[in-house]
Amino acid sequence: MDLAVEMKEITKVFNKVAANDKVNFQLKKGSIHGLLGENGAGKTTLMNCLYGLYQPESGNILIDGQNVKIDSPQKAMSLGIGMVHQHFMLVRPMTVAENVMLGLRSQRGPLLDSERIAQELLALSQKFNLNVNPKAKISQLSIGEQQRVEILSALYRGAEILILDEPTAVLTPKEAEELFEILRMMRDNGKSVILISHKLEEILALVDEVTVLRDGRSVSHTKVTPATTKRELTNMMVGRDVFFNFNHQQSRLGEIKLVIEHLEADDDKGLPALKNVSFFLKAGEVLGIAGVDGNGQRELCEVLTGLRASTSGEVLLKGQDLSQAPPKAFINAGIVHIPEDRHKTGLAMNMSISKNLIIKNFHHAHFASRGLLKFKAIRENAKRLMEEYDIKANSINTKVKELSGGNQQKVILARELSSKPEVIIANQPTRGLDIGATEYVRQKLLEETAKGAGLLLISADLEEILQLSDRIAVMYDGEIIGILGKNAGVDEIGLLMAGVRREGGEAC
Amino acid sequence: MQTDILTMGFFVSLLAGSIRMSVPILLPALGEIFTQRSGILNLGLEGIMLMGALAGFAGTYFTQNLWFGLLAAVVTGITFSLLMGFLSITVKANQVIAGTAITILGTGLSAFLYRVMFGIQKLPPQVNAFDPLEIPVLTNIPIIGPIFFNHNILVYITLLFVIVTAFVLEKTTFGLKVRAVGENPRAADSKGINVGVIRYLCVMIGGAFAGLGGAFLSIGYMNSFIDGMVSGRGFIAVAVVIFARWNPYRALGASLLFGGANALQLRLQAIGVPIPHQFLLALPYVLTILVLLSVSKKAEFPAAYTLPYSRSER
Amino acid sequence: MLKMKTIIKDFLNSALPAVITVALAFGVSALLLLASEHNPTEAFHTLLLSAFGSPSRIAEVMVKATPLMVMALGISIAFKSQLWNIGGDGQFTIGAIFAAFVALNLELPAAVLWPVSFLSAFIGGALWGGLAGWLKAKFNANEVITTLMLNYIATYLLSWLIRYPMIDPDGHGFPQTPLINKLFHLPILFQGTRLHAGAIIAAIIIILGYFFWRSTLGLRIELVGQSEEVAKYSGINVSKMVVLTMIISGGLAGIAGWTEVMGVQYRLLDDISSGYGNLAVVIALLGNLNPFGIAIASFFFAALMVGGNTMQLMEGIPFSLITVIQGLVIVFVISRVVYTQWRDKVANRHFNHGVLRQSARGLN
Repeated sequence: MDLAVEMKEITKVFNKVAANDKVNFQLKKGSIHGLLGENGAGKTTLMNCLYGLYQPESGNILIDGQNVKIDSPQKAMSLGIGMVHQHFMLVRPMTVAENVMLGLRSQRGPLLDSERIAQELLALSQKFNLNVNPKAKISQLSIGEQQRVEILSALYRGAEILILDEPTAVLTPKEAEELFEILRMMRDNGKSVILISHKLEEILALVDEVTVLRDGRSVSHTKVTPATTKRELTNMMVGRDVFFNFNHQQSRLGEIKLVIEHLEADDDKGLPALKNVSFFLKAGEVLGIAGVDGNGQRELCEVLTGLRASTSGEVLLKGQDLSQAPPKAFINAGIVHIPEDRHKTGLAMNMSISKNLIIKNFHHAHFASRGLLKFKAIRENAKRLMEEYDIKANSINTKVKELSGGNQQKVILARELSSKPEVIIANQPTRGLDIGATEYVRQKLLEETAKGAGLLLISADLEEILQLSDRIAVMYDGEIIGILGKNAGVDEIGLLMAGVRREGGEAC
Repeated sequence: MQTDILTMGFFVSLLAGSIRMSVPILLPALGEIFTQRSGILNLGLEGIMLMGALAGFAGTYFTQNLWFGLLAAVVTGITFSLLMGFLSITVKANQVIAGTAITILGTGLSAFLYRVMFGIQKLPPQVNAFDPLEIPVLTNIPIIGPIFFNHNILVYITLLFVIVTAFVLEKTTFGLKVRAVGENPRAADSKGINVGVIRYLCVMIGGAFAGLGGAFLSIGYMNSFIDGMVSGRGFIAVAVVIFARWNPYRALGASLLFGGANALQLRLQAIGVPIPHQFLLALPYVLTILVLLSVSKKAEFPAAYTLPYSRSER
Repeated sequence: MLKMKTIIKDFLNSALPAVITVALAFGVSALLLLASEHNPTEAFHTLLLSAFGSPSRIAEVMVKATPLMVMALGISIAFKSQLWNIGGDGQFTIGAIFAAFVALNLELPAAVLWPVSFLSAFIGGALWGGLAGWLKAKFNANEVITTLMLNYIATYLLSWLIRYPMIDPDGHGFPQTPLINKLFHLPILFQGTRLHAGAIIAAIIIILGYFFWRSTLGLRIELVGQSEEVAKYSGINVSKMVVLTMIISGGLAGIAGWTEVMGVQYRLLDDISSGYGNLAVVIALLGNLNPFGIAIASFFFAALMVGGNTMQLMEGIPFSLITVIQGLVIVFVISRVVYTQWRDKVANRHFNHGVLRQSARGLN
């Protein structure tokens, strides 16, 4: 079989860190190829090199056996490479047809050719069963439809090789299955597909071959057969057995700390994101929230930290009613928050470590008197926490943006956990961290629960949930559709994540 | 005296004046529509217009050809706007600051260069400005003629530009690129569009229009150059663009409103009507704030408004 | 000893870019002068001499610097919070109106009237700035546009007031208010100059500005400027902070108006802010948003204005050259980034070579 793509010894360096280090990759024509690896393993970087968004520092790319230099997405497209990004590259106020036309040469010279393109798109959409209306505005389409617009756009541009970056992260299981059907149809039409993913199920269900990346290096390239197991793939991906050993002390649960009753909230677009969510959390307990990204986890975190107002329902911390309270009330009540996006939410990137460590409690008497900051106390606090949490940096005055991801997360941990929390809300606390930092973060979180804090652990990483949780709640479409014990099976959780209720009925 | 207001002659002169006074606002506003649609707020229009006004005047004065004057104004406007492009696109500086710099620089430089070129004279140097066109038949229609068909050619060119601007933005591939770059530069980049180039072009188009607008003041509306003669019209143009929600036709209406308020207060003052004309002059600005409120709520601003684009940052 | 050294080093490090910026601006202006057949050395000599040549000239520079530094400090507080307040002129004007209104209408002892008018001026500016802040917090209205519009509205309001309700009845219809009572004039510090007590107040405000950035309120404002999301996450009420920041920023511009009315003009007249708003933006930037930097930059620009006037009279060099220098200063201040970017790029390239060589070695 001929190779559609061959990437040899690709190296790409960002901020003095090699995101890709001599990576090799081969894609056979007419196949679906999985690119597997943990977050931060360098999958997207590699594909951005192939798509011309990044230029590698060294290495060669061959398309159809020809050595090529891909210095722009346009060049990639002219070579028949299309990419569907994780964040869709669509212009929301414009129509599907306008989005597809964007950057294409028009047959009418400088004038737009909307009608003809709309018709051609309709035909193409029908051929691949994409079901897209070319005249609809992007802002009116669902996420799944937007993704199909991206695929349609790539096909229209003559893509023979299609790269999809974590395409199912934003899809419901049903939409994901539909997508897989489309991809299989494309393969049968002779196209080649690269699927970037960290989900083993997808790799096993869909792909013909898989390349595994770890820490920016390609560690394995193998055919996927019915005999391939998750275990095998996991070992390649992580480099060892994933089941870390944590000290799980039993019977350490205390009184109930946090009670959530019939909580409802809207998302940014004003659509219901949380529907009748109820649960409780005990002292010393880890309640894991599993679910596909985008099923209301973010909104739940935000409501439980005051960042988003609920539309109805109650949040009670040790009997204190915090429903509708501002973020400050949650902070004062002892609810700490390890946010999903540390760059955007958790850290002031241009401020020093020492200031970042006090952004939540600088008004306390310890750090300020008569409205003026006590810089000596702030410095000492920083020195102490940097030592305690093993934050590696030149000095306490180093700007946080100059730290590695792991050390940034440690700054957040140090700030949040040093305030003697009642309840910890941790949303994807280890996303994008290397193995060492991941283990450190998990260990620290468990230490706090041993001291009596309750931990609400929201994670898209099912392994993480399974390892740490005492109970596991599964979110689907804004609802908690089941709460399971710690010995729940992966299959059972998987079904719930797909929206299949335990009674066997399909969730709406 | 009071009765003068109600005469037909007053209305004719007011409406004709409104059209004339709206042109130096509408021209820069049309260019600014391109600029803002591409995601850049060019607050330096005032400075660019002043440079254009000087170039238009000097070009005409030294060549004795009004069209050379216009050409000089357009070229100067484009050249000067390149500095804005450099600061906001290449340097990725804050656009408010960059615009302020351009305005200050244009104000100073136009006054300085004028003095260097013409020295101090008892009578300010003058040129023969554009004359009103004599359009057969139309100009002589009573009422309608003096209102609509007794302007110089620049007025009609400006009206033509309104249509051209709308057409280019909505119906051409370039317009599509401009809108995409202002809404989602990353998406545009991924489709192979050079975000920087499109933005530079839009800033330059803005500069060309602003230069033209300045020249209208010095060789269309008046016949000489005066320090600071743009007197805020560059900023008003920015207000007009937001007032019009980035639509050229609405910009025409908004310019007439601003121009009309100005024409009306001039005439009221001349007649000596004791109505405080300051409120009339302030009214469009109050309206702009009110329009801004409704625009902001509906989030109708281009999504990448005032945001520099860099491929490596997310 | 060591500490002293680092302080001096830090100061030089932060002052050096400003000095280079100014030098570049003067360099370009010198070229302009040469091109227009003037002698730059002579011109700048006159400029310098007329600004600093005698105590009375220096006093005059300080008169001009007084409102500038107060206003620029206010602007810098908004800028630090990423609020692009370009409405300094409007806030200054409203502050001046409030001050004049109090001084013209209240019969109080000077010792009482000064603080009362001071407070009113602050409130006036704060209203104008706070309004823009409130519109931003409540409706997400772009503060650049609102403050700009409010400038015009303030200008026309002033223009109306001094022609109708507040016009000087004995002024032959000239558009200005009567002079305020002589007792209310801010005391002159040195006889024979115009330097008034407002300069001392400006200096105190600058020192307070230094402490402001070491206060919890200052940190809150800085955090909002860093990222609204992070500020919200830290328990800060961002909307409230935006309004408060604009109140403080506008209020300081109002106080600048107070010093001008009570210490220099003693009345209201057209265009009383005389474009200080734009200049305050330049100064806040050149001063790197630091209170002491702002004080120094204010002196520099005040000296340019005073010297520029004389330069025009004696050398026949148009005053507009000073405006050109102001514009060039901002252009060079914001272009500094290009230099740093270029430097980082070079550094990165060197480093990358190192990494590649290293990994190549690893392979062997």
